[in-house]
Amino acid sequence: MILAGLSFAQMAAIFGAVGAVMVGLYILKLRRRTVAVPFSPLWQRILKDKEATSLFSKLKRLISLLLQLALLALLVLALGDPRAAATLIKGRNVVVLVDASASMQSTDVSPNRLGVAKDEVKSLIRGMGGADRMLIAQMDAAITPLGPMSGDTSDLERAVDAIQPTDARADFARALRFATDTLRGVENGEIVVVSDGDLGVAQDAAGMVHVGDVKLSFMPIGKAKDNVAVTQFSVRRYPLDKSRYEVMLEVTNTGPEVADIELSLLGDGLLVDLTKLRLQPGERLPRFYPNLSGASRTLEAKLQVLGDTKDDLPADDHAYALLPERRRAKVLVVSSGNTYLEAALLLDEYLEVTSASPLDYVTKYASTTKSFDVIVFDQVTPAEMPRANALYLDPRGPGSPVKVEKEIVQPGFDKIERKHPIVRFTALDQVNIARGHKLKPEPGDKVIGASYDGAILVAGTRAGYKFVAMGFDVRESDLPLRVAWPVLLLNTVNWFTDEDASYLSSFRTGDVWRIPVGAQGPQAMMTLPGGAKEQVPVHEGRAVFLGQRSGFYELATAITPAAQKDPKDVPAPGGDESLTQAGGTVRFAANLLDDAESTIGPAEKLTVDGKDAGTVEGFHVGVRREIWILLLIAAVLMTVIEWATYHRRITV
Amino acid sequence: MGLLDFFTGRGPSSLRGPKADDDLFDDDFQRKLDYLAIVSRKVFSGRMRAERRTKKSGSGIEFADHRDYQPGDDFRYLDWNVYEKFGRLLLRLYEEEEDLAIYFIVDASGSMAFGDGAKLKQAKRLAAALAYVGLANLDRVAIVSTSDQVMDRMPETRGKARIFKVFRFLRALQPAGQTDLGDAMKTFVAQHKRRGLAVLISDLYDPKGFERGINVLRYNKFDPFVVHVTDKRESEPKLAGDVLLYDCESGDEREVTVTQKVLDRFRQIYAEYLGEIEKFCTSRTVPYVQADVSMPFDELILKVFRRGGFLK
Repeated sequence: MILAGLSFAQMAAIFGAVGAVMVGLYILKLRRRTVAVPFSPLWQRILKDKEATSLFSKLKRLISLLLQLALLALLVLALGDPRAAATLIKGRNVVVLVDASASMQSTDVSPNRLGVAKDEVKSLIRGMGGADRMLIAQMDAAITPLGPMSGDTSDLERAVDAIQPTDARADFARALRFATDTLRGVENGEIVVVSDGDLGVAQDAAGMVHVGDVKLSFMPIGKAKDNVAVTQFSVRRYPLDKSRYEVMLEVTNTGPEVADIELSLLGDGLLVDLTKLRLQPGERLPRFYPNLSGASRTLEAKLQVLGDTKDDLPADDHAYALLPERRRAKVLVVSSGNTYLEAALLLDEYLEVTSASPLDYVTKYASTTKSFDVIVFDQVTPAEMPRANALYLDPRGPGSPVKVEKEIVQPGFDKIERKHPIVRFTALDQVNIARGHKLKPEPGDKVIGASYDGAILVAGTRAGYKFVAMGFDVRESDLPLRVAWPVLLLNTVNWFTDEDASYLSSFRTGDVWRIPVGAQGPQAMMTLPGGAKEQVPVHEGRAVFLGQRSGFYELATAITPAAQKDPKDVPAPGGDESLTQAGGTVRFAANLLDDAESTIGPAEKLTVDGKDAGTVEGFHVGVRREIWILLLIAAVLMTVIEWATYHRRITV
Repeated sequence: MGLLDFFTGRGPSSLRGPKADDDLFDDDFQRKLDYLAIVSRKVFSGRMRAERRTKKSGSGIEFADHRDYQPGDDFRYLDWNVYEKFGRLLLRLYEEEEDLAIYFIVDASGSMAFGDGAKLKQAKRLAAALAYVGLANLDRVAIVSTSDQVMDRMPETRGKARIFKVFRFLRALQPAGQTDLGDAMKTFVAQHKRRGLAVLISDLYDPKGFERGINVLRYNKFDPFVVHVTDKRESEPKLAGDVLLYDCESGDEREVTVTQKVLDRFRQIYAEYLGEIEKFCTSRTVPYVQADVSMPFDELILKVFRRGGFLK
């Protein structure tokens, strides 16, 4: 036992001084009021009973004094703040991981699961021992410690109050690794996981997370599992008719009961479609809305339960999407004449095509190539590479972005990089080619199509501009006769203009988003769904942000003065040049769309490393293991006893 | 009385008895005495004056009892009828008629003057009234005041005209001393050889026991008549909290914390004490009358008459 407050000598001095005064006051006899009576023997009869216990009476007075002294002793001892030495050393170090994922917004418990979790954690805080220390961390897509490891209950309760719900799933592995790292080398470590759902296997890129000797406790939250969710929501424009678009969504009943819902599709806030649906337990119902048209930019899917259907998680009832913005791309075609090429480019009404002969290009356009989004060189290869994205059809000469090697006869697309966006929706396998040239890609270039003799379709970047080189003349193949030709051409234009890259109907919450902003500034201003603004860093032309709320976002970028003056300034690949120069706004949407989070049935146990987490123990509300509190309580009790005995005339 | 006693209000000076009892026997009182005397004559009409019968057997005409014949007894009083029936010689006893004395023993101890002195006043009035009735009946009336001894005495006297002597004597009575009826009665019987009715007017607050005084009278052939002066207010003292009680006679001190429970207990003990006295007197055929100060004295006198034993 050690004293954390006053020293023993100080305590003794206080006790001696106050005790002496107390004893002195006690010794002083109470001056009683004198009253005459006619016949005292009558009173004597009353006092006989008391006289029989006169010794006890004296003892009672002594007990009263001893009570007072004991009371004083308790108070003085409380000032000493005595603590068990063992307790000081063996206080627990607790990391509390509070799940703030989307499912914690479920309202099956009042006010919601996160609210209950906060209350439970506050109970733990109030039940901490005197030597215990605790760290509160919010567990969502990231792990956020909300304060230092502390024994101060008010600090910890403030940390609990700072926990905010997110629309993302919890990254348990990351949180657990954080907790184990925090408790490494610390005695009596304990991890308390406060969560509602199946957190999955605690495994990340570094492997399984092992808790070792650290005690792991689990506090389950929630009780019901009724939920209907929008689990998929996507929108896209048709590649060949960008005025039209299609929507795909999926609603899922993750609950155990049949659910009646009303599904609304809104375009720019106006109702586009309304459907009533009945979902069986566990049923996934995909919905497809083809051939939609209109000037809609934003799309929202909302579901509302009907009748007695219960839906405890409102966070996944609303999904958001943004149609890719339509923009007229400026295309310069440098050709001596190619009907197939010109015809294919006519298919897209959003292309502003300028045709030029090779001579015109040299005389008129070579110096202003920056004003075009795409330049198509058909059997023409300029001496100097243009400052624009370029498609080379059958390139030749030193100006070619890739080295053109020997001629190959009857090459074919024997190998196709099918994931590349320019070959999307195409079937090039059967294309017949009379002759072509083998292309030699440079490091960093991507071979998209190759025959057994060598590469014939290469994509890459030169001086910050994209290029695609096709090693044969389309007129010496049957490619122009195939649907693949205009698709390939338009895919290439889209890839150049980044329309495809910026085609993000929505991001997934909980992921790190890399939003192309087309600016080189160090940071951009993000407007979150709630209206809050946040500065986000921009790296390599993309704003990097861990989004955890579903809804519509706005990202404002502005070119920095330094970047403006830099003559070597290179616009972001595929970025909108006007946006880059003048600064602009990028809008995008984000959704939860997570089956696991929408399955809100609470988990009964937590298994980590093959072992089940135990229940939370050793936190008793109101019993801080601090002795001075007990001493104070004892003193109060003693005062009550003394008060009662005095007023009941027991000790007087 | 010491200086401390003076300041603490203890001692005889606190016995707040009347300094002068000039208004004690006023005209109104005296008129009531006449009325009481008339009433007593009506109630006991037909009685001869001075025909107070004593238990002393003698030559009266009213048969009292038998006793065994002893050699030397007068043969004239042998009951031959009994001898004829039972063969035993028994002597017939008759109540002897004589004019007997009435002694008023007024307790003038400190406790009688407790409070506003109402008990002593009541005792004086009762003594005066009964003395007047006695004088009016031509009895010999004597008054003594006692505490732990006989303090003062008024010799036997007869005749209604002597009532003023009685008044003077009673007015002059001052409360003092402690009650010790036993010793006082011993002194009394020693001073008064002539037996008679001994009317003891007292609050009977005798630390050594009220029985002793009465028994002394009984054992010495006096006819005790107990007039117990009480004050109901004494059974309900206005006390509360921590007090130091002291006896107004003895000065004994006792520390008491008075609670309602204690007061209830005191009331019970007081009632038990009164009960003990009445039971004692009743069991010994001693006439007993409780005279509370709240009762008018004339009613008390009638109560005494009704109780009997005072006038025969």
